[in-house]
Amino acid sequence: MVLDMTTDATLASHLQELRRGTVVVASLTVLRTPGYGYSLLETLSEAGFEVEANTLYPLLRRLESQGLLTSAWNTDEARPRKFYTTTDQGNAVADALRTEWARLDDAIGDLSTETSTTPGSDK
Amino acid sequence: MTTTLVDRYVYTALRRVPEQQRADIDRELRASIDDAVDARVEAGESREAAIETTLLELGDPDRLADSYAGRRNFLIGPELYGVWRRIMMMLFTTILPIVVVAVAVIELFADDVTVGSVIGAIVTSTIGVSVHMAFWTTGVFAVIERTGLGQAELKGKWSLADLPKYERGALSRLDFAGTLVWPVLAIAALVLQQFTFTDEPLLDPANWSFWWPALIVLTALKGVWALWVYRLGRWTRQVAIVNAVQSVATGALMVYLLATDKFFNPAFTGFGDADVDLRSWITVVVIAGVVLGSLYDSFDVARKAEQARKGLPARVPGTGNTYSIG
Repeated sequence: MVLDMTTDATLASHLQELRRGTVVVASLTVLRTPGYGYSLLETLSEAGFEVEANTLYPLLRRLESQGLLTSAWNTDEARPRKFYTTTDQGNAVADALRTEWARLDDAIGDLSTETSTTPGSDK
Repeated sequence: MTTTLVDRYVYTALRRVPEQQRADIDRELRASIDDAVDARVEAGESREAAIETTLLELGDPDRLADSYAGRRNFLIGPELYGVWRRIMMMLFTTILPIVVVAVAVIELFADDVTVGSVIGAIVTSTIGVSVHMAFWTTGVFAVIERTGLGQAELKGKWSLADLPKYERGALSRLDFAGTLVWPVLAIAALVLQQFTFTDEPLLDPANWSFWWPALIVLTALKGVWALWVYRLGRWTRQVAIVNAVQSVATGALMVYLLATDKFFNPAFTGFGDADVDLRSWITVVVIAGVVLGSLYDSFDVARKAEQARKGLPARVPGTGNTYSIG
């Protein structure tokens, strides 16, 4: 299959569409152990989530205002940092999102096996 | 220099963040920037380069501020856009013509009315009313978008009852009104030019003995014809023939007057005494316009009648299909 520049751009926009929302699940999951903005950014990018700092930092504050995260300033070290922790509500939301993710994954897996075994049938 | 860069960046971002959040975001953003810079320095970059790359990655501080403040970077979102568009369409296709016609009519009865003053009133009212309607409607929608006030009522839920009804029959109510407007305007212009607009009437006053009244009757008959078609509700051969006779008669009358130089008032000096004979040029142009206009009108109606006779349904360009929407 030939991937020219147009399909590259199309693919990129579809990938972005697909990834949107995964950062929320990932952040809520990672922050079950407290973490600060930059550390979370590092963890996520190491785990393979492509997320920009200018998306993540405002997102953390939004999740906090929704009650899914709590925050506390840690001033023990030379550089004061704001640590975020997932709340019980945040955990519940993350669970629900992960369940949905798994369901979608199964459903898509089913679809692709179905279409590969019975092409053209309308069952 | 490098500290001022971070300062300038943070300051620019904070400017557009609500005041009660500033202190917290200030501290957090600086810590995050410092963390990122430190990591880059550890990886071997120079501090200055590290700061520049970090800030570049954070991107436009105004957008960052919008993101922190949860502000929308659009005026009217997709939820409200449809309603806004529908209201604008209604304002510009219905309210604007009504207001402009009203202003023009009022201007006609002004003491010192001239062609120029009427055209001026039409142009200024069109521009003024358009700008006001567009500005205030959009302003109200922007406020609704931001406050969420009354959004639920505005959006409503689309139901089948909202599908446009395509009126059956020859002339829709709007077409009918449009067909009526022209005869009324033409007769008004014909009568008024005798008394107002210019010192000397533009058209030959001698024709009031017969030709102008005849033209008024023919023009008024066009209005009666429109009423007939509207009530009849379909294009028929009779409709087409009557229309053709009327068009040709009106056209022939005007061409006769123009060609024999009985149309314009000889005493009218408005054509000036330029080198070119403006008057004969205008005569030629008007003759051509009248002939083409009445021919087009006759053929157009005849075509519709023929189509209706054959029972051809509405053809939608681009689909190659016909739709029964009536």
